[in-house]
Amino acid sequence: MAISVSQIPHGDPNVDQLYAETRDLRLNGFLLFMVSDLVLFSSIIFAYLYLRNSGQGWPPPGFSRLDVAFAAFNSVVLFGSGVTMHFALENWKHGNFIKFANWMVATIVLGAGFLSGQGYEYWTLYQKMHVSWSGSGIFGASFFTLTGMHGFHVFAGVIYLTVLLLQATNGKYTQHKHFGLTAGTLYWHFVDVIWVLLFSIFYLF
Amino acid sequence: MAVAAAPTHGGGVADHIHPEPHSFIRRYIFSIDHKIIGIQYIVTAFLFMVMGGLLAELIRVQLMNHSGTFVKPDTFNELYSIHGSTMVWLVIIPLLTGGFGNFVFPLQIGARDVAFPWLNMLSFWIFPVAGLMLYSSFLMGAPVAGWTEYPPMSLLGGPGTSMWAAAIFLIGVSSTLTGINFLVTILKMRAPGMTFTRMPLFVWGQLATAPLLMIATTALGAALAALFIERQFGVPFFDPTRGGSPVLWQHMFWFYSHPAVYIMILPAFGMISEIFPTFARKPIFGYKMIAFSTVAIALLSFMVWAHHMFTSGMAPFLQLPFMILTMFIAIPTGIKIFSWVATLWGGKIHLTTSMMFAIGFIATFTFGGLTGVYLSAVPFDLHAHGTYFIVAHLHYVLVGGSLMAIFAGMYFWYPKMSGRIMNEFWGKVHFWLFFIGFNATFIPMHWLGLLGMPRRVAVYDPQFQFWNQFASISSFVMTAGILVFFINAIVSLRTGKKAGANPWGARTLEWQISSPPPYYNFKKVPAVLAAPYDFAEPLPYRGLEGELDPNVPAPVAAGH
Amino acid sequence: MNILSIEHYLAIIGAIIVTVVAIIALKNDWKTPGLENQVFKVMLGLLALGGVLSFFAAIGVLGNFGGKA
Repeated sequence: MAISVSQIPHGDPNVDQLYAETRDLRLNGFLLFMVSDLVLFSSIIFAYLYLRNSGQGWPPPGFSRLDVAFAAFNSVVLFGSGVTMHFALENWKHGNFIKFANWMVATIVLGAGFLSGQGYEYWTLYQKMHVSWSGSGIFGASFFTLTGMHGFHVFAGVIYLTVLLLQATNGKYTQHKHFGLTAGTLYWHFVDVIWVLLFSIFYLF
Repeated sequence: MAVAAAPTHGGGVADHIHPEPHSFIRRYIFSIDHKIIGIQYIVTAFLFMVMGGLLAELIRVQLMNHSGTFVKPDTFNELYSIHGSTMVWLVIIPLLTGGFGNFVFPLQIGARDVAFPWLNMLSFWIFPVAGLMLYSSFLMGAPVAGWTEYPPMSLLGGPGTSMWAAAIFLIGVSSTLTGINFLVTILKMRAPGMTFTRMPLFVWGQLATAPLLMIATTALGAALAALFIERQFGVPFFDPTRGGSPVLWQHMFWFYSHPAVYIMILPAFGMISEIFPTFARKPIFGYKMIAFSTVAIALLSFMVWAHHMFTSGMAPFLQLPFMILTMFIAIPTGIKIFSWVATLWGGKIHLTTSMMFAIGFIATFTFGGLTGVYLSAVPFDLHAHGTYFIVAHLHYVLVGGSLMAIFAGMYFWYPKMSGRIMNEFWGKVHFWLFFIGFNATFIPMHWLGLLGMPRRVAVYDPQFQFWNQFASISSFVMTAGILVFFINAIVSLRTGKKAGANPWGARTLEWQISSPPPYYNFKKVPAVLAAPYDFAEPLPYRGLEGELDPNVPAPVAAGH
Repeated sequence: MNILSIEHYLAIIGAIIVTVVAIIALKNDWKTPGLENQVFKVMLGLLALGGVLSFFAAIGVLGNFGGKA
C-alpha cells in the first residue's frame, strides 16, 4: 500500500537510492542471528582448543581416540542432508512441489539418521569406554558439550524442517514468497557447516 | 532523476506503520512502539540503579571503619558482586542501548520503528525478569566473587552464583536480540537520502555498538553456560583440580567484557556529540573523524581483552602486543576529545544542565581515560592490579563517563520523551552535588590504590581509614545529587515547562516532530539532504512541512 | 565383509557423491544474485570441503593424531 513517502527531491543522486534498496529485512536479521550463533559455537570451540592445548596431550592419558571411520560415515549422512536440502529449495523455486516434498523428506530422514548415529556413538563411548559428560575430565566435558550443543541444533532443525514441510503442504508459501523455506535452508546449511568444523577438530586434527 | 513512486515492499519495512494502540496494556505495557520500549528500558534501569546505588552505599558504610563491622565479610562480598553486576548489566548497558538507543535513533534516521518491533518487545521483557532473577540470588546465597566471577571462587560460591549466571545469560540474550535489531534497522531503514555520512553521530555510536552487543554478548553467554554447567552438573571446564583452567574463564569473560566496556561508552560518545553542537550552536568539528574513531574503537575492542589478565600468568611475549594495542585505543578516543573541545571553541555556548553534564563528562572521562593508559602499561599494571586504583579508574570511566553522559542525555531528550522540560535549577543542583560528590569519592581511591589498598576487602589497614571515610561521606553527597535528579524527573512530568517540538534548537530529525512524538513518528518519511550539524544553513530535510500542523492527518496504518 | 568395512565403504562412496554433487550445485548456482544465494554458495563450498574431509577420514589419511584408536 502506498503511503506517505515524501516527494523525492530532484537533483540529488543519493536521495532515493537507499530507499530503493530497502527489502525484506527478515533475511538480514536471520543472517545476523546465525552470526551470533556462530560466535556461541566459536567460544566453546575456543574453550575446547584452549583446554586441549593446556599440556597433557590429546587425547588425555587414559582415553583412546574417537572412532574416525564411524564419524566419517555419520558426517557424510549429515552433509548429504545439506545437499538434499539444497535440491528441495531449488525445486520449490521452480514450482515443483512433489520433488520439493521428496527432497525435504530425504533431508529430515538423513538429519534424524545423523542424530541416531550420534546417539549410537554416545552409547558406545559411555558403555564400552566409560566416557561421560561430567566424569571424564576435560575430554568428556568438551566433547559432549560441543557435540551435544550441535546435536541439539540438529534436533531443533529436524523439527523446524518438519514444520516447514507441513506449512508448505498447507499452502503457506508461494513460489516467490517463501522466506520461511529460505531461513530453514540457511539454518540447515549452518548446522552442516558447523559440523565440518567440529568433525575436523574432534576427529581429524 | 524522476520523482519516485512509493516503492512497494514486503513485510517489516521502512514505511510500515503500526495501527494505533488503543488499550492501555498494548500502549504502555506490552507495547511494540520503540519509543515506549525505550522509556520502559529507562525507567526499569533507573529502578535497578536505585538498588545498585543502595548496595554501593552499604559498601561505603562498611568501609567507614577499618575494622568494618557493619556487615559480615561474606555479605560484603555479596554486596559488591551484585552492585557491579547491577550497574553494568542492569543499568548502564540497558540505558545506553535499549533505553536511549531505542527511543532516539529510529527517530534520528527517520524510521517509523525498529526493524523487528516484536523482537524489541521481547528484548525488553527479558530484562526485568533477568534483573529479578539476579536479585533473587540474595535469597539463596549470592555470588561472592565480584562481577567478574573468576573461578575457582565462583565455583565455591553459594547456589546464587548459578542463578547469577542464568540471569546474566538471559540479559545477554536480550542484548544480542537488541544488537541484531538495531543493526538491521540502521543498515536498512534510514530515510531516503540519509547516507552513512549524513547520519547523526548518535546513530554512528549505536551502529558501532550493535555488533559488539551481538558478538561479544554471545561469547559471554558461552562462558556463563559453561560456568552454569560446571556448577550444576559437575562438568569440568574451569576447575584446575579436574583438568580445567581458571584462566580459560578469564579469557572467555574478558573477550566479552572488554568490548562491553565500549558498549557502555560508544553510545555515550554519540550522545555527547549530539549535545555539544546543539548547545554551542556550531557544526560538530571533524564529523568524519568522530564517526571513524567510533568504528576504530569498536574494532580495537576485540583485540585488547588480555590486558585485564597481565597478572594471571600469561607469556611475556603476549603481554607486549596487548599493551600496545590497548594504548592505541587512546588515539581514536583522543580524536574525539579534541573534536569536542574544538566544537566548543568559539561557539555560542548555552550552559543548560545538559551541557554542563556534557562538559563535566569531558573532564572526568579524560581523567579516567588517562588512568586507563597508565594501566595498560604492564609494569604499572603489575603494581596497581587488584587495588583501589582499578576501582577508581573504572568508576571514572563508567560513572564519570557513561553515567554523566546518561544524565546529559536525560536532560537533553526528556522534553522529547515527555513534552516537558526538566527543572533547570534543580538540574544544576543535581549537577554540582553529583560532580563534586563523585570526584571527591573517587579521587582518593587512586591514592589508596597506589598505597596498596586491595579492592574487594571488608576490612583494611588502619592507615587508609581517613580517605575511606572521606570517600564514604562524599559518596553520600553524590547520592543526594542523584536523589535530586529522580525527584526532579518525577515532578517535572507534571510541573515542567511545556517543551514544544524543539526547545533546544537542535537540528536532528527527532526534534522536527512534536513532543512526545506520535506513534507513527513521521507523517511523511522525510528526505535527507545533508548531515544535520550546519547551523548556518536551513534544515537539510524535505517533507517535514506538515509535521507540526494539526490539520494534516496522521498516516493510515497499512494491512492489519 | 564385517560391519566396520561396510561403514568404511559407505562413507567413502557417500563422501564422493556429496562432494561431487555439492560442487556441481555450486557451479550451477554460481551466477545467482541476492544475499541469501551468496551465503548458500559459501555453505555449498564448505559442504564440499566437508565431503573431502570425510573422504580422507574414511580412507584413513586423516585422524591419526595423538594416541592409538
